[in-house]
Amino acid sequence: MIAANKNSQFTKIQELVYELKVAEVMTTNLITVSSDTMMSKLRSILRDNRISGTPVVKGGQMVGLISVEDFINWLSRGGVDCPVEEVMSIEGLLQELQIDYHEEEIHRYRASHFFEDMIADKVTINFHYHIRGKKIEQGGEVASDLKRSLKRLGIHPAIVRRAAIATYEAEINVIIYAEEGRVDVNVEPDVIRIEVRDRGQGIADVACAVEPGYSTAPDWVRELGFGAGMGLPNIKNCARDFDIASTVGQGTTLKISIPTGGEEKRCA
Amino acid sequence: MKLSEIIGILQAEVLYGEDLDRIEIKQACGSDLMSDVLCYSMQGSLLLTGLTNPQAVRTAEISEISAVCFVRGKKPPAETVDLARKNDIPLLLSKYSMYIACGKLYSAGVLGCDDRCE
Amino acid sequence: MRLSEAAQTLGLEVRSAAKQLDTEIRGGYASDLMSDVMANAEEGYLWVTLQTHMNIVAVAVMKELAGIVLINGREPEQETAEKAEEKRMPILVSPLPAFELIGRLYDLGIPGLRADDEES
Repeated sequence: MIAANKNSQFTKIQELVYELKVAEVMTTNLITVSSDTMMSKLRSILRDNRISGTPVVKGGQMVGLISVEDFINWLSRGGVDCPVEEVMSIEGLLQELQIDYHEEEIHRYRASHFFEDMIADKVTINFHYHIRGKKIEQGGEVASDLKRSLKRLGIHPAIVRRAAIATYEAEINVIIYAEEGRVDVNVEPDVIRIEVRDRGQGIADVACAVEPGYSTAPDWVRELGFGAGMGLPNIKNCARDFDIASTVGQGTTLKISIPTGGEEKRCA
Repeated sequence: MKLSEIIGILQAEVLYGEDLDRIEIKQACGSDLMSDVLCYSMQGSLLLTGLTNPQAVRTAEISEISAVCFVRGKKPPAETVDLARKNDIPLLLSKYSMYIACGKLYSAGVLGCDDRCE
Repeated sequence: MRLSEAAQTLGLEVRSAAKQLDTEIRGGYASDLMSDVMANAEEGYLWVTLQTHMNIVAVAVMKELAGIVLINGREPEQETAEKAEEKRMPILVSPLPAFELIGRLYDLGIPGLRADDEES
């Protein structure tokens, strides 16, 4: 294996790496060779694709780089056929690349990352969803869409999970008991507020309803996997603030807030 | 243990899923009721259930469960498999009853999920 | 194995029909879906579930099950416990989740449905 230790060679490889990074971003047809490809094959690969080098991959990971220069050096040493991995360049630059990607990963999970890029006195992002009552087949679609959206904002996965679970439970309640409902989610840098409002039969005994195990669900609901009486307790466990108000014959409004950083209450 | 091993123990059919030996399963949970599943810390686990409607997959997606295995040989409807495909959640089907499926996995060393949230 | 033995070994607490624990357990069945239990559970089996409403007693009595074990620390509703007492159907409780409780029952040698488990 040839280590990149000569100044000029280093620069050439640097250039190559830059080229490849850009190439990766620009196209999806990045040419690569596997580490056990034979050197004799490499010439036609480089020539046919008109590239001066290519990443070497093994088990789905990039393990090195092989360039025309490597090929020429190999030839000048006698050109005895061998796998590419015995000739390729590794180390140094690849590590740098890896570190770059790793840092990006860390940044993606900072809760207020997205908001830092926005310039205003106050920033709120609002999501609004409509729920159709009785449509149990669609149960969870709103929660799922919200989850995807929150993830996209770069909010910490554990917080996203809480918001998704709370919304899912609320959504199922609306579907089972109401004609229709709506979900309004306000995302601010420190907190996510979720309000679920429905038009439906309402809750006769709110105090009982929030107790684990208590359920007024009809049998058809139990057969579908719900009605174990854990819906409201689950929501309560995911939230910091929890408020539920209901009028029998009219409907129910549920409001919760979930902080996006700091100490986390164990929920799920 | 790897999901591929679990498939062997449960004599399961793969309804959806690829590269199943890249998935490592340490815990499992058996339930037909989804609210109960949502209460526990389930990321990365295997859900055994007799509930074949799409809600089982939805619950798995929201709880970040790694795979779902239907028991009692009950084949799920197309909507369920479609949702699993859309969310890339492996789906298995075992002819064993819930009792036997859990029993065999427990004997093989799979742990239960025990993070209560109350 | 008798229900009383299983209860003692696994630390299950009794909530109803404490005098009916002499029954021999023929096997174990786990399900939270009433229709499924009605269709598949067998006489003398111990039913593992998290359902706590009154219907479980009716189903258990109809299928002549050995008893019901509630998991996850669930407690039977008052009506459920009363009905079970009246019908002499044992209800026991365990703090363990289903998977673990089943695993331990299985380890004790309590089999599942015969039709399913050819190798066991």
